[in-house]
Amino acid sequence: MTERFFSFLVVIPILALGIAITSFGKDTGYVAHGWIIVAFSIFAVKRLINDWGTAKSEKTLTYNDDVVKIGIIAAVTWAIIGFVAGDILAWQLAIPSLNADTSWSNFGRLRPIHTTCVLFGFAGNALIATSFYVVQRTSKARLAGKTMPWMVMLYYNLFVTLAVTGYPLGITQSREYAEPEWYADLILLVIWIAYLVTYLRTLARRAEPHIYVANWYYLAFIVVIAVLHLVNNLAVPVSISSPQSYSLFSGVQDAMTQWWYGHNSAGFLLTAGFLGMLYYFLPKAADRPIYSYRMSIIGFWGITFLYLWVGSHHLHYTALPEWVQVLGMTMSVVLLVPSWASVFNGLFTLNGAWDKVRTDPAIRFMMVAVLFYGLATFEGSFMALKPVNALSHYTDWTVGHVHAGALGWVAFLTFGAMYKLVPWVWQREEIYSVKLASIHFWVALLGTFIYVGSMWNSGITQSLMWQTYDGDGNFVYAFIDTVIAMKPYYWARAIGGLLFLIGGCLLAFNIYMTVQGPRARAGNAVAVPAE
Amino acid sequence: MQIEHDEVSGQKTTGHEWDGIKELDTPVPKWAKWAYIITSLVALGGWILYPAIPLGSDFTRGLFGTTSRANVLEAVKEAEVVREKDEADLIDGDLYDLVDDPTIRAKYESAARVLFTDNCAACHGRDLKGQTGFPNLVDDSWLFGDDLDEIEWTIRYGINANNDDTRYSEMPAFGRDEMLEQADIKNVAEYVLSLSGAEHDATLAKAGSEVFENECSACHGETGEGVGIGAPNLTDSFWIYGGTRKDILETLENGRAGHMPSWDKRLKDADIKKLVLYLNWSKDNGED
Repeated sequence: MTERFFSFLVVIPILALGIAITSFGKDTGYVAHGWIIVAFSIFAVKRLINDWGTAKSEKTLTYNDDVVKIGIIAAVTWAIIGFVAGDILAWQLAIPSLNADTSWSNFGRLRPIHTTCVLFGFAGNALIATSFYVVQRTSKARLAGKTMPWMVMLYYNLFVTLAVTGYPLGITQSREYAEPEWYADLILLVIWIAYLVTYLRTLARRAEPHIYVANWYYLAFIVVIAVLHLVNNLAVPVSISSPQSYSLFSGVQDAMTQWWYGHNSAGFLLTAGFLGMLYYFLPKAADRPIYSYRMSIIGFWGITFLYLWVGSHHLHYTALPEWVQVLGMTMSVVLLVPSWASVFNGLFTLNGAWDKVRTDPAIRFMMVAVLFYGLATFEGSFMALKPVNALSHYTDWTVGHVHAGALGWVAFLTFGAMYKLVPWVWQREEIYSVKLASIHFWVALLGTFIYVGSMWNSGITQSLMWQTYDGDGNFVYAFIDTVIAMKPYYWARAIGGLLFLIGGCLLAFNIYMTVQGPRARAGNAVAVPAE
Repeated sequence: MQIEHDEVSGQKTTGHEWDGIKELDTPVPKWAKWAYIITSLVALGGWILYPAIPLGSDFTRGLFGTTSRANVLEAVKEAEVVREKDEADLIDGDLYDLVDDPTIRAKYESAARVLFTDNCAACHGRDLKGQTGFPNLVDDSWLFGDDLDEIEWTIRYGINANNDDTRYSEMPAFGRDEMLEQADIKNVAEYVLSLSGAEHDATLAKAGSEVFENECSACHGETGEGVGIGAPNLTDSFWIYGGTRKDILETLENGRAGHMPSWDKRLKDADIKKLVLYLNWSKDNGED
């Protein structure tokens, strides 16, 4: 049986699902989603019949970089949409009337657009693209499959499209970071398994005796996200005519499942996946060996083992049984060690190449990303302590913490990697403008500092105001007083976010100009078998 | 496989190489080992001291034998005892004495403001001036009278609330329920406009005055000034649902039945008292 047969096994059920939705769907947005699914699938069928299947024999020793290019473009596109949505939200918080009083633009519907665009659209595509690039190079093998990598890229972005277009119309299952409804979830599940199979098949055909540490992390990311996605989205659809479904979980089990999912998305998508990216792009760009193989090992196993326990620290002082809270808290404390082991392993890899931090903005991006990773993981373990959590929970401090990780670590690392990867896959000498990349760095860094700094201030201010009592135990501040006190910080945050968005646009422009520019060298894409 | 010596670090490589990336065989630094050991011991300590290990249908209770929930319940109980002692003057005092006592005002006004802002301001406004559908609390117009006991009753049991002692107040839907002819509704609306000195059609208003006497005066009083049973004074300039011709016609057509929640079970007696006093103190502020 050929690979094309398996690809059709994926496409046909999804196409059937799309047709069923267009036929039986009652909700306008839902029917539109049916048509989008049909359109993507017809495109896939057409490409499967024409080029993907009949492309040059995959046995030729060239890497498959075309799919990587699409992933890069998708990642940057979703990033810009996600940054715009995020900054609109920031301005709405500073000036509430900006929601224009319509249902589709209110905070509750825009916010998942922001989170889905940056988590799945930007970070997800960046990981798929770089993982496909890295696994080929470090295995000295072409990506397995002629059609599957394309299927993964196409349907993954169908999933993001369905998610993002559904929210303004109110199509959501209201699970934070897992808002897409059952039909989108099914598509992601199928395609994620195809991703795992593609990755494993590529590793299996590697011409290197060992599997490089970056691939351990990418693999952990793929496997754990599959499990998280499957379990957290277990739900019973109301009927084929409706986008709605009911979760299998309820009450405190529901909350625990949700945060087990939520925290491990941070742990395996935003941490493990990006450590995979770091372990390839940093030593490659700096041309230095990894500081310590042993640190890689204790870091990897510590992170993969410990993260799975700590989701309950999001539910301190709730109806969740105390013993689950204590386990989450204590595991979070230990988790600091492998996190910081990874930080030092990254930083010390730069030993002997520190001058490049000054001259090469891509390396500067990655170096600062590691620092932010260290900051955010220390902060995370600290906030997981129950007494600290009593102060930080439900405040903007949490928002600041997440963005220290998301802007400072995830996005900075991706930016750094992109400035290297784009010239590599498009076979250009270097990025169109190193100077522009450097400006991007400083604008993004300033934006991140303003964002995170203002959220620390606002979070601690509001928490202290909430907890201020007079001598008789009465509140000194009404809740609305604490909201009014947030105003300057919300303005600052919106400005910080705007700077970050401007930086993202500079990146997009730089990539565009690089791709438009002349091809400078050849030969990078030839796989040389190991001796 | 070729193990090399790295000059910068002085370490040997592991001999692996992937796409030009090598790894040094640097030993795990002492601090990392110790950090693992220390944090693991801290975690172990947590498991011993606090509830942590699941045992089928039960869990270990920890050496402290307590939970954060038990702790907070205990703390709340203690705080209540202290508070009852601290607020004895308020709890035992009579509203009519308390309202003019400057020490009481100095002691409680700030806390009362927070209570009002957190619980009442969403409808009545932070400035207490209300909004459409929700009465102004600093004007001189009180639906059920300005007696402190009456105000306390309203806060405690609400208006049209889910409560046996709640106040009942409803403006009938004279138009929708066909209790009055449309012509009469038009006339009586003009009469109502005339009561507060607004621009009106004098001829229609004259016809409306008869309708008013028959249909409206039982609740609003013969002069339209209200009789303190929840029907508003129509001769002043304060309007809950608006005082334009259109608003008044709407009220006559579809009726009104505002809702004020009952705070009896949600706020403590002392806090309800604080709110009653706060309304009076705020009225003074308005006059200053």
